[in-house]
Amino acid sequence: MDSESRKKALYYFHEKVVGPLGFKFTPDTELVDFLLEQEVTLEAKHGIPFCPCQPLRHDRARDMQIVCPCIPFHRQHFDAIKRCWCGLFVHQDVTDPDSLPQLSPKDVGLG
Amino acid sequence: MADNFVRAISTNEIASGGMKAVELDGQEIVICNCGGRFYAIQRRCGHMNAPLELGSLDGTYVTCGMHCAQFDATTGHALSGPVPMDLGSESLPPRVAAFIQHAAEQMQHVRTESIRAYQTKVEAGWVHVAL
Repeated sequence: MDSESRKKALYYFHEKVVGPLGFKFTPDTELVDFLLEQEVTLEAKHGIPFCPCQPLRHDRARDMQIVCPCIPFHRQHFDAIKRCWCGLFVHQDVTDPDSLPQLSPKDVGLG
Repeated sequence: MADNFVRAISTNEIASGGMKAVELDGQEIVICNCGGRFYAIQRRCGHMNAPLELGSLDGTYVTCGMHCAQFDATTGHALSGPVPMDLGSESLPPRVAAFIQHAAEQMQHVRTESIRAYQTKVEAGWVHVAL
C-alpha cells in the first residue's frame, strides 16, 4: 500500500464530506499531513481510518462514531469550538487555526 | 514514450465517471473516464481478482465492488484493503455463519497489491493503450 497515495485519496474523499458540513481542512498543512499519515496507519491496522486523537473502545457502535471525518457525530461540540477534536477540520471561515483551543464538550457547556 | 499503443475504445463509449472493460491482446483492461481524462488499469482487483469495472469510480479513485479495496487509476497504487465486514445483530443460520467466519479467516491472509496501470493516449476520438 502506498501511504502518500492513500493520504491524497483520503484528502479527496474527506473534502467532499466536510465541505457540505461547513468545514474545511485546516490551513496548517503540516498538521494535515501528520494527521492523515496517522489515519493511514490506523486504516492499515484496522481497515478503517479512525480519528487519530480519540481512543478506540472496541465497542463497534461507539468506535464508528470516531471514523474520520466524525463531524456529524459531534456536530454541536465541533460547531461550538469551530474545529474538530484533532483540528484537522475547521469551520470554513477560520483563517487562524492556532487561535482555536481544543475545548472538551464540558468546557463549552455540552455535557 | 511507449510505441506499442493499441486502439482500445471510442471515447464516447464511456461517460464521464464511468468504466468499461476491454480485452486487448489477451489482457483484461479497464478504461476509466475521469472527467474526460482516460486511464487504463488492469481489470482484476489487486485484492481478490474481482472485475474492477463492476465497482465505482470517484475522481481517479476506483473502489472494487467486492470488498471495497481502493486503487488510484492514474498509477495503479493500492490505496486501501477490504473494508471490515460487520453483520451487526443479524442472526444467520449456523452453517452460513460458520462459512462466513471461515471465509473471513482466509481473507485475513490476503494482501492487497497495487495493480498495473497502462499508459494511454487519445487520438481521433479513440483511446489507445500501451501494452
